[in-house]
Amino acid sequence: MAATTEEDEQERAERAGESAPKPAPRQPGRGRIAMAVSVFGELLITAGVILGLFVAYSLWWTNVIADREAKKQGNRVRDHWEAKGPGAIDTKDGIGFLHVPSMTGGEILVTKGTNTKTLNHGVAGYYTAPIKSALPQDEKGNFTLAAHRDGHGAKFHKIDKIDEGDPIVFESRDKWYVYKVYKTLPETSKYNVRVLDPIPKESGAKKSDRYITLTTCTPVFTSNYRYVVWGKLERVEKVDNERTPPRELS
Amino acid sequence: MYGWIWRHLPGNAWVKALLSLLLALAVVYVLFQYVFPWAEPLLPFNDVTVDGQ
Repeated sequence: MAATTEEDEQERAERAGESAPKPAPRQPGRGRIAMAVSVFGELLITAGVILGLFVAYSLWWTNVIADREAKKQGNRVRDHWEAKGPGAIDTKDGIGFLHVPSMTGGEILVTKGTNTKTLNHGVAGYYTAPIKSALPQDEKGNFTLAAHRDGHGAKFHKIDKIDEGDPIVFESRDKWYVYKVYKTLPETSKYNVRVLDPIPKESGAKKSDRYITLTTCTPVFTSNYRYVVWGKLERVEKVDNERTPPRELS
Repeated sequence: MYGWIWRHLPGNAWVKALLSLLLALAVVYVLFQYVFPWAEPLLPFNDVTVDGQ
């Protein structure tokens, strides 16, 4: 663009005749260098714009996509629940919904597995490896979950808002499982798989019980460490016909 | 670079501007649809599990 305007000006100057000052004669080779510099500058600008777009993609667009997908899968789970009578938990699409009022107003679909592809659907996944998660209806064990902190639904974005004593409610087809948070660990190594143990000793737990563990990355926008929240089952309520939520959610 | 593209687009300034806009949108689409989803797992921003790896 700059080149065209220069040419235009030159032409105009030539048309104006001798009265206009003549442009200084160009030194040989200067044009090529100027061109190289301008291309380099344009490449830098382009790189900056692409990085900006990547930030928008990571923090906004992946949320749009993931929320859409989570909603679709969640609706499918609820449809299944309506269609079928009482029975075992159906694990095909998702096993239920997590409600954590101190973290988010919405519900979080829980599905099997914690690989990237699964979690990118804007859900919380329960661990199948390295330590297999227990399920809420199991007599004993640790129900261990992971979800994204940023992007892809960012379902555990505000995990740091969860305090000790806050409720975590898991909704299955027939039951409300009400857990109470008793310990948070704001920073631990990603190698610390012991937090997923059936009896998570690091939380101070000593005996076998029905635990829930939420894990995500921390600090926000990075994956340097892991944030862990532990809860213990307080009670189980039957789901009634209106699916009236337990008092913790109202 | 961009000057070169601009000079090689057909039509008058308005047509050129419109074509530039379409080109830019196409580039953004390709980035969001193909390039970023490919690049994201290669960057260390979104590992949320404890897995010992």
